[in-house]
Amino acid sequence: MRSILEVEGLTKRLGDFALDGVSFALPDNCITGFIGVNGAGKTSTIKLLLGLMRADAGDIRFLGEDICKREREFKNQIGVVWDDGYFYPELTLLEMKDVVAAAYSEWDESQFRKLLERFGLQGKQRIGTLSKGMRMKYAIALAMSHRARLLVMDEPTSGLDPQVRKELLDLLLAYVAEGNSVFVSTHITSDLDKIADYLVLIDQGKVVWEEEKDRLLDTHRIIKGGAEELTPEVRSMFLTLDESSYGFTGLTAQREKVCRHLRNAQVERPSVEDIMLGYIGRSRI
Amino acid sequence: MIYHLILKDLRLGKRYWALLPIAAVAIPFFIVSKAAAATSVAFALSSLFIVYLFFNSVSMAEEKHRGAAYLCATPYTRKTLVLGKYALILLLIGSSYILYTLAALIAPERLPVLGIQELGFSLLLLAAVFGLFLPIQYRLGYEKSRLVFFFFIFLMPFLLPYAVGELDGSSLSNSMAGLAPVMQGVLAVAAAVILLLGSMAVSVRIYARQNL
Amino acid sequence: MRIVISNTSDQPIYQQIKDQIKQAILQGELDEGTALPSIRALANDLHVSVLTTRRVYDELESEGFIVTRAGKGSFVAQGNRELLLESKRRMVEVKLAEAWDTARMLGITRQELFAMMELLFEEEEG
Repeated sequence: MRSILEVEGLTKRLGDFALDGVSFALPDNCITGFIGVNGAGKTSTIKLLLGLMRADAGDIRFLGEDICKREREFKNQIGVVWDDGYFYPELTLLEMKDVVAAAYSEWDESQFRKLLERFGLQGKQRIGTLSKGMRMKYAIALAMSHRARLLVMDEPTSGLDPQVRKELLDLLLAYVAEGNSVFVSTHITSDLDKIADYLVLIDQGKVVWEEEKDRLLDTHRIIKGGAEELTPEVRSMFLTLDESSYGFTGLTAQREKVCRHLRNAQVERPSVEDIMLGYIGRSRI
Repeated sequence: MIYHLILKDLRLGKRYWALLPIAAVAIPFFIVSKAAAATSVAFALSSLFIVYLFFNSVSMAEEKHRGAAYLCATPYTRKTLVLGKYALILLLIGSSYILYTLAALIAPERLPVLGIQELGFSLLLLAAVFGLFLPIQYRLGYEKSRLVFFFFIFLMPFLLPYAVGELDGSSLSNSMAGLAPVMQGVLAVAAAVILLLGSMAVSVRIYARQNL
Repeated sequence: MRIVISNTSDQPIYQQIKDQIKQAILQGELDEGTALPSIRALANDLHVSVLTTRRVYDELESEGFIVTRAGKGSFVAQGNRELLLESKRRMVEVKLAEAWDTARMLGITRQELFAMMELLFEEEEG
């Protein structure tokens, strides 16, 4: 499984916060979810990837090649979608497109027009008149119109209604089906339950793990049982534990061990969010 | 690419398009009517005013919406983005000059057409102001650099006489006075160009390091 | 072809998918030469990772159930009768072993298990 993007030892000090030795590899042709709570370092990592900030240390390789050596070629193959949009509201969609398209060597105008039409956007509208969902679609139209191999998205679904979210997810699935890759950072993990292939968890500036989504779902379980069964030994087998007077619910990576100690335990597969919560609490200890 | 960056900035400053040609003509007339002796500075001051106003509104839009952050993620290099801004300034100065000259040709008895010497020194003044101002704005950002600029304007009445006084008896002005006006003008233009190039190099270095 | 991933099963996701595809092949639901969906299409439809469906297809291919032609996709392999038969037997063996494990864990003896099986056969015949 080859990697489209490899990050190694990325370090950056930003006031009180620091990215510390962030390393991960994005598998090619996959949708990788970059998860973590707000403030964990997702946006900072993406800014480093895209050259908005210079790292204090670390390497970034795209298809095996160091991006510092050929930064413009690298950026030509990347499509970017920001949470904020970072567009000028006074400009129209076409005016903004003019300045953006000029930067890319493989701009595909007909593809852009097709996408605008598909999203129901008018080129002569001012960007300031767009709703959040429409702005995001516009950003996607820009990002997918220059034959980019990798789409990098920073919190694309926050603030969007479910209908638009579903459209976006379908778009991403179609995009990877064409042979491309997606790197999407989000704290809304329910979207990733549906479409992610691979996940990278970051917390407090450090990568906690990177793993195939299904492997995570296979190795962890949500187990529910009675309060009296929570001996200290059993307790230690859980990553998270939610207790009430009626019983407990917890996440564990040691299903077999737990099941041997409990009778009539109810066992379920976790969601991505459940797993994420299991590893964030820990790194704080 | 630079063409598109300039186009983008012109579109951002759309609001001032109508105002500027009017200002480019009205201000010199105004200055000349109030102080006949000030004809030589009429162009310099009016361009300063126009270019600053327009450039300021573009910078404000940039700072507020951080569109530059998006552009930095594209293949545009930091250097190209800086070049775009300097090219915009030159374009504005150039337009201002054209408008002034048109006005001067229409009403030659009111406004003198600029000779090389006057043009040269005007350019030098503009280059000095913007050559100093742009790197500061890159370093401090739009908000803080405006404070610096106003502070500077505040100090001007005190600094200017001092600077002129120093310049007056200096060896530089003496050797300059000996030259023909045309030579003076050419040297002034050359100095302006060098100033702007130097300023651009500094700005590029500042901007290349910036975290967006 | 019916592929349903159980939320409560102990088996890894890829295992469940693999078994169900194998079952479809062995029971003749998928004829020899039938084209299988692309790993991406399968992943999208089942809401699983494409890395998982890739592993499923890789393993099915190494076990001889399917063949993948570069650029064309994956197809059900031409029947290797003995191989398939043996796989069928192995599948049943695995299920029997599971049943025995479960019985043992619950404290059911061998005799009880046989009795249960007899009952099952009778029910079917009846």
